Amino acid sequence: MKADDQVSLEAVLKEEIIRMYGEVAENPEAEFHFFHGRDAAERFGYDPAWLDDAPAGAVASFAGVGNPHERARLQPGETVLDLGSGAGLDAIIASRSVGPTGRVIGVDLNPSMCLKAQAHAAATGTTMECHEGRMEEIPLPDGTADVVISNGVINLSFRKRQVVEEIFRVLRPGGRISITDIVSAKQLSQSIVNDPKLWAA
Amino acid sequence: MFRLLETAGFRHVKSAVVPGFRFRQQSTQNSAEAFGVKAVMFTAEKPAAA
Repeated sequence: MKADDQVSLEAVLKEEIIRMYGEVAENPEAEFHFFHGRDAAERFGYDPAWLDDAPAGAVASFAGVGNPHERARLQPGETVLDLGSGAGLDAIIASRSVGPTGRVIGVDLNPSMCLKAQAHAAATGTTMECHEGRMEEIPLPDGTADVVISNGVINLSFRKRQVVEEIFRVLRPGGRISITDIVSAKQLSQSIVNDPKLWAA
Repeated sequence: MFRLLETAGFRHVKSAVVPGFRFRQQSTQNSAEAFGVKAVMFTAEKPAAA
């Protein structure tokens, strides 16, 4: 694929990601081809108490593919980056784990989703800061985070190597990641790569 | 992904398939299986000296 074509396709993909995951947040009772909401979170082993404590809107909009908290070993006082924070469920759970001396930072492509996540966090008495930004250029200084979590987001990027390098950059030395994501054992066909609706899914 | 993490400098990279992940629609699930699509948990550490 020519570089110009890839840039153009990435722009279309960005719009499709914002549209699709915005629709999950705005219209969570709709049916998507992936499981979402409380059903999905329970399927992946989220503690029901976490879900009971979180705002209904954050739970209903959950569109992850696993449970990054399972092995994150978050400790009070740690700084956590949730890459692709969406409506905020994972950030709220992380905020509970790191407590008032910790810090949770979300990064999301969609600025309205950042506002929604922060409102959901505030409704639970926790705090998170959310930055609009691309995972290929995380808008944070080097060594910011003790832990990076992410849930079903990196697969959406055409530039996964760059994303992984950015995660490495924003982690402090000795920091760690707990990421759940979709991988493919085979090269996807060009028809899938060229279709933003399929790629965004 | 595993290789990307190691190449970037991460250590102790581990991966495990997420049990229970599947697509809602059977046709999508069938296509996903044909491509070996899975949900995977990755953990890794950035070296303390990095």
